[in-house]
Amino acid sequence: MMTISLLGLLACYSGGIFLPPCLPGRPRAQNFIANGLAIVASLFGLVLGLTGLLASEPLAISIPSTLPFLTFAVRIDPLAAFFVLTISLAGLAVSIYAFGYLTKFYGQTSLGLLGSLYNGFLLSMTLVVIADNGFFFLIVWEVMSLVSYFLVVTEHEKSEVRYAGLFYLIMTHVGTAFIILTFLIFFQQAGSFSFETFRHPESPLPEGLRTLAFLFALIGFGTKAGIVPLHVWLPYAHPAAPSHVSALMSGVMIKTAIYALIRVYFDFLGGQFPWWWGFTILAVGAVSALLGVMYALMEHDLKSLLAFHSVENIGIILLGIGAGMIFQTYGLQEFAALGLLAGLYHTINHAMFKALLFLGAGSLLYATHTRNMEEYGGLLKRMPWTGFFFLVGAVSISALPPTNGFVSEWLVFQSLFLSFHLPVVLLNLILPIAAAMLALTGVLALACFAKAFGLSFLALPRSTHARHAEEVPITMRVGMGGLAVACVFLGLAPMVVLPLLDRITGPLAGVSIEGRVLALDGWAVAPTNVEFSSLSTPALALMLVSLAGLGLLLAWALGGRLRKRYYKTWGCGINLTLRMEYTATGFVQPIKRIFSTLYQPTIKLETEFLEESHYFAKRRRFEFYIEPLFQKYLYDPVVLFFSATADHLRIVQAGSLHLYLAYIFVTLVVLLLVAV
Amino acid sequence: MVDLCSALLLLTCFAIVAQRRLSACVDLFALQSVFLAATAALVAFLTGIHHIYVAAALTVVIKAIVLPRILKKVIERLNVTRELQMNINVPAGLLICCALVILAFFITQPIIPLGFLLTRDSLAIALAIVLIGFFTMIARKKAVTQVVGFLVMENGLFLGATAAAYGMPLIVELGVFFDVLVAGLIVGIYTHRIQDAFDSVDTSKLTVLKE
Repeated sequence: MMTISLLGLLACYSGGIFLPPCLPGRPRAQNFIANGLAIVASLFGLVLGLTGLLASEPLAISIPSTLPFLTFAVRIDPLAAFFVLTISLAGLAVSIYAFGYLTKFYGQTSLGLLGSLYNGFLLSMTLVVIADNGFFFLIVWEVMSLVSYFLVVTEHEKSEVRYAGLFYLIMTHVGTAFIILTFLIFFQQAGSFSFETFRHPESPLPEGLRTLAFLFALIGFGTKAGIVPLHVWLPYAHPAAPSHVSALMSGVMIKTAIYALIRVYFDFLGGQFPWWWGFTILAVGAVSALLGVMYALMEHDLKSLLAFHSVENIGIILLGIGAGMIFQTYGLQEFAALGLLAGLYHTINHAMFKALLFLGAGSLLYATHTRNMEEYGGLLKRMPWTGFFFLVGAVSISALPPTNGFVSEWLVFQSLFLSFHLPVVLLNLILPIAAAMLALTGVLALACFAKAFGLSFLALPRSTHARHAEEVPITMRVGMGGLAVACVFLGLAPMVVLPLLDRITGPLAGVSIEGRVLALDGWAVAPTNVEFSSLSTPALALMLVSLAGLGLLLAWALGGRLRKRYYKTWGCGINLTLRMEYTATGFVQPIKRIFSTLYQPTIKLETEFLEESHYFAKRRRFEFYIEPLFQKYLYDPVVLFFSATADHLRIVQAGSLHLYLAYIFVTLVVLLLVAV
Repeated sequence: MVDLCSALLLLTCFAIVAQRRLSACVDLFALQSVFLAATAALVAFLTGIHHIYVAAALTVVIKAIVLPRILKKVIERLNVTRELQMNINVPAGLLICCALVILAFFITQPIIPLGFLLTRDSLAIALAIVLIGFFTMIARKKAVTQVVGFLVMENGLFLGATAAAYGMPLIVELGVFFDVLVAGLIVGIYTHRIQDAFDSVDTSKLTVLKE
C-alpha cells in the first residue's frame, strides 16, 4: 500500500513537472494538467501519510547510485509520514484553488513553466521529509530552495520581486552552508551519509562536536524556518510569490525545517541534551513569536502581515519543542512527549490556517488587484464566501476556541506550566516567563487579525477596486473551504489527532502518552494529568453555540416585535464618508505608542498653510515608517563589509589580457619554485 | 648533437624576443620549427623509433610552412609590420628571459639525473622555451606576436615530450598538430575581428570591454 502510493505520488508529480511545458501556447490545458496531476499526487500523498502513520514498521527503500556516498534512500517512519500528510493536505487544497487563481495569469506568465515548477516544489518538499541519506537530503533540499526561488520571481518584471528573490536566494544558501556543515560533522564520525549511521554511529560524537552540530543545525534550518533574527528574508519573499505558492511556502515549506530540526535533535542527537539546548530553542521560540506578531501588526500589506505571522507561529512551535527538550534533559519523558506533541500539533494546524489565510489574501488580490489593506474595505458584502473562510482562518490563528489554533496553543501553554516539576529553580522561573510571552503574543495576534479582518471586510469600500470587487471562482472557494473545514475539524477532534501524533512522539521521547492525554473516553484533552487541567473542545463548541442561541432566544423573548428597516448606519446626522473610517495605521496607533522603543517609529508631518493665514492648512502630508532594527543593525553592516571587500578585489580584475596571462605565469613560476 | 639542436631552438627563442618586426618573428618561428623537426628526426634516427619521423615531417609541414603562411597573410592584410610599443622593452625582456632559462635549469636539476634517456638534458631547455613563449605573450601587445608566443610554447612542449619520453604516442601527436592548426586558423580570424572592432590589433585595448 505504501509502496504503491509512493510510486503513484512520484509518477504524478513527475508528470506534472514534464507535461505542462509540452503544451506551449495552451494555458488552459497547462493549468488543467499541472494542477490536476498535483491533486492526484496529493491524494496519493494523503494515503501514504496516513498508512505511514499507522504502519507498525517504517517503509525503507534504497536505490544505489554511481556517485560515492549517495544513495536514493527513502524511509517513511511516523515522523516523515506526518509531514507527508501535512504537505499533501495543504497541497491538495492549494492545487484545487490554483485552478481558478491561475486564470488571471493567462497570457502573462508561462503557465507551463509555472505548473512545472509548482509540481517540482511539492515533490521536492515531499522528498525532503522522506529522504534517508544525508547527501540525497541535501540535493532535494537545494532543489526545494531553488525551485521556490524561481517561483518567488515569477513576476520578475517588478524590481521589488527581484530584490526579494535575491535576498531569499542569499539567505537560503547561507542556511544550506550550515546544514552541510552539520551533516559533515555526522559524516566524519559515521563514515557514511546514511541516516541510519547518523542515528547509531559506531562511536558517539564527542561533546564539542555535538554542541557544534546543535548550533549549526539551528542556524541552518532556522534560516529556512524564519526564526528571529534570521527571519528577514521571509516577509519579502513569501508575499512576492503568486498567492497559492505563498500559501505553500508559508504554510508548508518552513515546516520542512521544523521536521529537520526534530530529526536532527531527537533522532540523531537523541538521548541526553544539555539543559541549555532546550533553553536556547525556547528562548528563540519566545522571541520569534513575540517579535513576529509585533512586526506583523505594523504591516499594511496583507501578505507581508501573514508572512510575519509565520515567524510568530514558528516561534510557538519551537516553544513546544524547546519545552520538550528541557523535560527530556531531566528525564521527564511524559512531559517531553507532551511538549513535542504540542509543537507537532501546532505544525499541522499552522499549515492549515496559514495556507487558508494566504489563499484568502490571494482571493482579495484576485478581486481587487492590490495587497494594500488601506484599499480594501466593505468586501464582506461583495465576497461573502471568501470573507467567511478568511474569518475562520483568522479565528484559528488568533487561537480562539473551538478552532485548531486554540487546542495546540493550549497544549503549548500546558507544557510550559508543567515546568514546576523541574528540579532547577531557574528553569521553574523561565518557563512561565515564556508562557507569559506566549500569552502576549496571542493577544497581539488577536489585535492584528481584528485589524486585518475588520479593515478588509467591514465598513465601506476604500477604493474603486474594492467597490467593484466580485466573488472569486468556485474552485478557489472550494480550496479555501476545504482548509476551513480542516481547521475546524482539527480543533473539534483532538481525540482523533492526538493518538496519531503519539505514534511519532512515542519513539522520539521514549514513552507513549496516548492513554494520558485523553480523558473522558477521548472527549477531553489533558496534559498527562487530568487533575492538573483538561479541555474539551467539543463541549466548548457546544457551549459557544448554545450561548449564542440563548442570547438570540432571550432577545426574541424579551424584546418587542422586530421590524426590519434597512437604512444607513447612523452617523450623528452627518453622511458617512470614506474619510471617517479607521485606517490600518490608525488602528494600531496605541500599540505603536506602547512599544515605541522596539519600533523606533519615524513620523513626518508636513503642513502647507494658506498664504493668508497660518491657521488654515491647505494640505497635510503624513508619513510614517518603522525602523527595521535587524536589517539596520545586523544585516546592513555585513552587506556593507562584503561589498566594500568586493570593491577592493575589483582591482585584480583589470580586464587586461596581459595581466591575466601574467597572473598565470607568476603562479606557474612560484609553484615551480615551491615544488623544488 | 641533440643538445646542440636544442640549444639552437633556445637561441631562436631569444631572437624572437629581441625582434620587433612581425614578419621576421614569424620567420624565426618557422626556423625554430625546422630545428625542432631536426631534433625530432635525430632522436628518431638514434633510437630507431619510427613514428617520430612522422611527427618530425608533420612539424615541418604545419609549423614551418602552413602556419607561417597564415600568419604572414594576416600581417599583410592588417598592414602592421612593426611593434613599437611593448609592455616590457627588449633589453629588459632579454634579461628576464635569461632569468627564466636559469630558473628552468635550476628546477630541472633534481629531475634530470633520474632520467636514463639520451635526450634527458633537453628537458631543461624545453621548459625554458615554454616559459619564454609564455613571457612573449605577456610582453607583446599585438595579437600576432601573441600567437607566435603561443606557438613557441607549443614547440617547447613538443621538445619536452620528445626529451622526456621519446615523444607521445602518434595518435596524440596527430591530435595536437590538428589542434595547433585549428588554433592558428581561429586566431587568424579572431585577429581580423579585433582589427575591425578596434582599428588595431593591440590586445591591451580589450580592457574597454570591461564594464
